[in-house]
Amino acid sequence: MIALISKEDMVPFLQAVSRKMEVVAPVMDQGTPAYVTWKGQPLALEGENPLVSPVKLLYPQREVLFRYIQECGSYTFEEPEQKARLILGVRPCDMQALKVLDSLLYPEPTDQAYQNRRRSAVIAAVSCVDPGVGCFCAQIGSGPECKEGCDLLFTDLGPRYLVETFSPAGVLMLKEHPEFFTPATRSHLQEKERLLKEAREKIVQARPWISREGMAEAIKNADWKSLGERCLSCGGCSFICPVCHCFSIYDQGVPDGERVRCADSCILSGFSRMTSGANPRPDPGQRLCNWYLDKFEYTPQKTGHLGCVGCGRCNRVCLSAIDRWSQEVLK
Amino acid sequence: MNEYIPLQAEITDIDRVTSDSYLITLQILDDVEFDYRPGQFIMVSVFGLGECPISIASSPTRGRLQICIRRAGKITSGIMDSMIGDVLGVRGPCGNGFPLGTMRENILIVGGGSGFATLRGLINYIVDKRDDFGEVAVVYGARTSQDLYFMQEYKGWQREGIKVGITVDVGDESWTGNVGMVTSLLDKIKISPGSAAMCGPPVMINAVAAKLMSMGFYRSEIYVSMERHMKCGIGKCEHCTVGPYHVCQDGPVFSYDKVKDWL
Repeated sequence: MIALISKEDMVPFLQAVSRKMEVVAPVMDQGTPAYVTWKGQPLALEGENPLVSPVKLLYPQREVLFRYIQECGSYTFEEPEQKARLILGVRPCDMQALKVLDSLLYPEPTDQAYQNRRRSAVIAAVSCVDPGVGCFCAQIGSGPECKEGCDLLFTDLGPRYLVETFSPAGVLMLKEHPEFFTPATRSHLQEKERLLKEAREKIVQARPWISREGMAEAIKNADWKSLGERCLSCGGCSFICPVCHCFSIYDQGVPDGERVRCADSCILSGFSRMTSGANPRPDPGQRLCNWYLDKFEYTPQKTGHLGCVGCGRCNRVCLSAIDRWSQEVLK
Repeated sequence: MNEYIPLQAEITDIDRVTSDSYLITLQILDDVEFDYRPGQFIMVSVFGLGECPISIASSPTRGRLQICIRRAGKITSGIMDSMIGDVLGVRGPCGNGFPLGTMRENILIVGGGSGFATLRGLINYIVDKRDDFGEVAVVYGARTSQDLYFMQEYKGWQREGIKVGITVDVGDESWTGNVGMVTSLLDKIKISPGSAAMCGPPVMINAVAAKLMSMGFYRSEIYVSMERHMKCGIGKCEHCTVGPYHVCQDGPVFSYDKVKDWL
């Protein structure tokens, strides 16, 4: 199903949706776009992708796995419930990140906490017609167009959005709010194709040396020793990465309390260190190399997908300003 | 089902193994089948302190679940400070265990230090199914004679025709046995090549594997139980990765040829 919605109608449309479920959308927050619970603010669907990925809404950096309650020496357990919500403005790179996480976390034994959040969300993606300067999704194969995985897809056609449905939940969303949508035609789809072609060319032009096929060779040739000397092992690159999903688990509270999952990073020096003190990856260069290998070799082996979606966020937060997708690093 | 919610297990018995290690018997309280294989491990919780992986030290043939704990960090200390009747959390069994279906009749078992706990489960399994196996030998080394695990069980194993060789790194007046690395015992014990099962520090594993290959063992038939930092035990948290493998799911038992580069 395809339809059009004018930009003026977006606010009343979202207001109607927010009467039934929480709406999360990118808005300007102190000068930068960020995903927040939408309460009528102007939308920031265009421009640079927000630094914190909407994937973190479905795989949060801190979440309660269950509560333990002690009574007479034994325990009962309570699981948190997830509420339905619409997440608007998810870019194709972040949609691909969800696909990779699905393929890692859904297989048995399923990560129920992730699955519950994922299944209770309706996702309205946006085509990336205005990519950021650090993006390389086109080279990696994850953008700038979104081909699957979302429920709805919005594409900015100037005064209005082209809306495409990709799932029964998406169709339902349109059918429940017919007053905001008008029919679209093939010419609107052609207009979308034209805009995405331009975006694709712009992305590839910025970093023409990156290719999926070339990554194995680039990892083999990279100078891990000198990169390791520059890396501060802060973990920023993996905390901000929408695909990175390393986590730690800890307990909070005695005798009743919560078992909490929080984000962790294989870049941190103590990540693999055992109680004995033995550390299989003591060197920052080794850990950085493992980070690339996991994304371009191990994750594809396990899931068939790259563990990188080309969003370029890792570069945006690197304290050492290592441009890890530069020609200098990827020789 | 939420994979992170543990079963509850009551501590029914505690035995001192060495000055800093206990053998703890657990009774699962939930109404579920808890079946396991030698070489598997469980995630043990002390609610409020957290959860950590502990290898199963018992054999499923004996109808009990036992773990051997050495005071090492926060959670192992919490387990050791628990008393009979206390309730711990248990998830699992996790991991693959020793590939008993594909291992040969002749089995050499080599352990170092506290890594011997997981091998005790395998040895007692072999004792209980003795007719299924051929020549079996156990070679075990610890730092001193005070650090040796399960000393009172060696005679019972020998009665079942299992050769047992024990060595310590540092001897003392009370010790009349062998002093030196476990590799020094491999020459003394007569064994025919077959499958090997090992657990211990990486230095020992590499030295023993090299020695075994020179004795005619195939590297694909030397099985190593690996130790890694773990959080989830179900292949999601990425703490225990070695190359493309998750030690918690693809292991902890690997053939030496698969993991030799990451030891």
